[in-house]
Amino acid sequence: MRQLLRAVIFGILGYLIGAILTWLIRGGSLGDEVCVVFGYVVGLIGWLFGIGMGDTWVREWFGLPAREFEVTGWKRYLGFSTDHKVIGVQYLATFVVVLLLGGLAAMIIRFELAQAGEGILNADRYNQVMSMHGILMVAVAVAAILGSFGNYLVPIMIGADDMAFPRLNAVTFWLIPPVAIGLLAAPTLGSFDAGWTAYPPLSIVNNGGQILFVLAVTTFGLSSILGGLNVITTIVTMRAPGMTWGRLPIFVWAAFAASMISLLTTQFFAASLILIAMDRVAGTVFFDGGAGGDPLLYQHLFWFYSHPAVYVMVLPGFGVVLETITHMSRKPLFAYKAVVVSLLSIAGLSVIVWAHHMFTSGMADYLHGPFMFASEMISVPTGVIFLSAVATMWRGKLWMKTPLFFAMIWVFQFLMGGVTGIFLADVVTDVSLHDSYFVVAHFHYTIMGGMLFAFLTGIFFWFPKITGRMINDRLGIIFALWLTIAFQLTFLPQFWLGTNGMNRRIADYPEQLEGANLMSSISAFVLGGSFLLLVYILLSAAIRGPKAGDNPWNASTLEWQVSSPPPEHNFSGQPTIVGHPYGYGTAGSRHAEFADMAAGGQAQPKQAGTGEGADDE
Amino acid sequence: MDQDRRNDWIWFGSLWAIFSAIGFYLVLGIDLLPAQWAHEAEIVDDAYILLMGLSIPIFAGVAAALLTSLLRFRVQVDDIPTEDGPPVHNNRNFVRLWVASTLILALMITVNPGFIGIAELRGEPSADIVVEVQAQRWSWKVNYENGAETFNQLYLPADRRVRFDITSLDLVHSFWIPGFRVKIDAVPGRVTHLYVTPEGVGSFEDDFNLRVQCAEICGLGHAQMAMPVTVLAPADFDAWVSDLAEGA
Ligand SMILES: [Cu+2]
Ligand SMILES: [Cu+2]
Repeated sequence: MRQLLRAVIFGILGYLIGAILTWLIRGGSLGDEVCVVFGYVVGLIGWLFGIGMGDTWVREWFGLPAREFEVTGWKRYLGFSTDHKVIGVQYLATFVVVLLLGGLAAMIIRFELAQAGEGILNADRYNQVMSMHGILMVAVAVAAILGSFGNYLVPIMIGADDMAFPRLNAVTFWLIPPVAIGLLAAPTLGSFDAGWTAYPPLSIVNNGGQILFVLAVTTFGLSSILGGLNVITTIVTMRAPGMTWGRLPIFVWAAFAASMISLLTTQFFAASLILIAMDRVAGTVFFDGGAGGDPLLYQHLFWFYSHPAVYVMVLPGFGVVLETITHMSRKPLFAYKAVVVSLLSIAGLSVIVWAHHMFTSGMADYLHGPFMFASEMISVPTGVIFLSAVATMWRGKLWMKTPLFFAMIWVFQFLMGGVTGIFLADVVTDVSLHDSYFVVAHFHYTIMGGMLFAFLTGIFFWFPKITGRMINDRLGIIFALWLTIAFQLTFLPQFWLGTNGMNRRIADYPEQLEGANLMSSISAFVLGGSFLLLVYILLSAAIRGPKAGDNPWNASTLEWQVSSPPPEHNFSGQPTIVGHPYGYGTAGSRHAEFADMAAGGQAQPKQAGTGEGADDE
Repeated sequence: MDQDRRNDWIWFGSLWAIFSAIGFYLVLGIDLLPAQWAHEAEIVDDAYILLMGLSIPIFAGVAAALLTSLLRFRVQVDDIPTEDGPPVHNNRNFVRLWVASTLILALMITVNPGFIGIAELRGEPSADIVVEVQAQRWSWKVNYENGAETFNQLYLPADRRVRFDITSLDLVHSFWIPGFRVKIDAVPGRVTHLYVTPEGVGSFEDDFNLRVQCAEICGLGHAQMAMPVTVLAPADFDAWVSDLAEGA
């Protein structure tokens, strides 16, 4: 608590120092964007110093011992904790809140669009609410699964006691509040209205809120890069003895592939945003077509990250869903190796398809073919994921609890997103559908269907592990059905709207399109209402749900072999991995054995010859 | 194969057939696509329907597998599951077959409607008339070949191949005519091109999709940045355009 208070004070002081110094040096007004930029940067440093970097790293740089904070109970969640489980829960809580905020914005959007003509919002406000909805939800999609389950589960699943860089992990999380504050403070400078894509020249000439968008999203990018670095290092270096690459649970592989993308491509988004900031405050003309710059340069840089970002969002989702399906069907994951190869090839292919977002941008015609070809190729590894999900269930013993329900619905939703994506990857149909409501419907099926439904699958599957309590299963299934049906009724009409002449990001539309819009809006409110049930389910289970026990699903991977919630350093004895993670159906199959740390003294050195592709089949 | 396993596949096959039939019925039965007002609209719609036709059986297949699993493989668990499914880790031939068929399918649609469609849609880079379009927040200015000019109105001749030379004076806008199914961005500092052959005589009053709609967000007036399109018979168009040029 003390740290948090200090961080706020240092953050505000830092902002004032940065902004006022800039103002004193260059004159003008204190509200100028240059002052905001320097204020934000110094404020961010003050915030990080106050929250805990000052007590740890900075003291050590000056030869002082790091200051330890003995905080226990719920107060841990409000401070600079280096425990990966605390950080996982911090991410989970933060992004559920951001999700609900973004959902509120969605409700306002659908309220406005329920009827043609101007309703509660004028066009300006509409663009601002729509942009806020977009960027909040993109942030949720990028960080919610990887931040929460990635942090909470990856170390446990590989038999480690924490992440490779625990302090860096804490910093990664504590970079998020400034992002939220920056975005939510944008209205003080007139908001941003260029959508989450922030295409210039619009994002250069619009209100000052855009600069806060740029600063906040760049900070978020930094957090993504550091998070990716940490997950990769953890998986490479912290695996327990015997945890060969061929024995990693599939969620760990998915987190690995997604982190590769975050680590290696987020810089391009940051670069494009920094160029925007320079065009705004330093008078450069990188994206000014009239002055020798090029707006298309931004689009290339932006999509070079933002297409792969789709896979940062959904690859962890693949992992969650496959993990849930294999445990709840009590069958080994079908074609484990092919799935791993697919996850990695999706990550690889994802960086050579970006220009499929630019078929109508005016870029050179000869680029259309290659980017279309590469985009269609992604359907091959994605198809393997579907095969694995379905074939794992085939003739399994399906225990139809809420997590498996959600996982099955996920398959349906993401399939819908994938199939409609083909229409957008194909140049001929994209020329008609690009920037129409067809796209809006499509990416809600992929991102909401592919990421959010996986996130919910994960919440229902690992809730007992994280809280030690069980969720009311009947309510969970009611929630799943409610959400899913409302989802179809909300977004199916939007495909029709897109093919029938409604473009995206508009506050108003031709009145001929009113019927489908009204239907979509009403369904959206029903969809939004389902989240009240979710909040009730989670809160009531957390407070008075029945005790879960260590392994309520009788599952095989490591996180289920420890108490719920797991002890402080995850394992009381050093686990040694002795077999495939999903040995269902094979009598006597074991994934791990536990040696008592106290008896053995030290952890055994890592097994020699933990080569890739060790075959456990 | 024992009877039980055979029944799984019978369930799957029947559901697949039913779902596919429903899918085809819906796609063919419901008017998914609005009226076509250009030759290009036919090309785009043909591609759309071909992709739909290919998607439906794939979609139906996965949906059938899901429903079969839900109906036939669910088990009652009282407290904690004890019974496992069969220890099938892989089926190499099946995976190979699956990958090969998705690959072939992906290549197929890359060729058609992909490359073949692109070639058709683009056509020859020649045009009967050239129309210049200038976008500026939040309106359109149109220049015809003989000096005629319209503001927020677009007139076109039917059955003649038109080339649009499109640019923008300020932001990125997008020139979209839903009735023609084509669009291209209007980018400051460049001229982008679009070829269209309008078909049929009509106007915005007949079909609201005969309009140019800005499809790239450009601020306050983005939703309203639209202009009605009127397609005239070639002779009428010639008369209209020369009247306008003389008047100017
Ligand atoms: Cu993309
Ligand atoms: Cu616009």
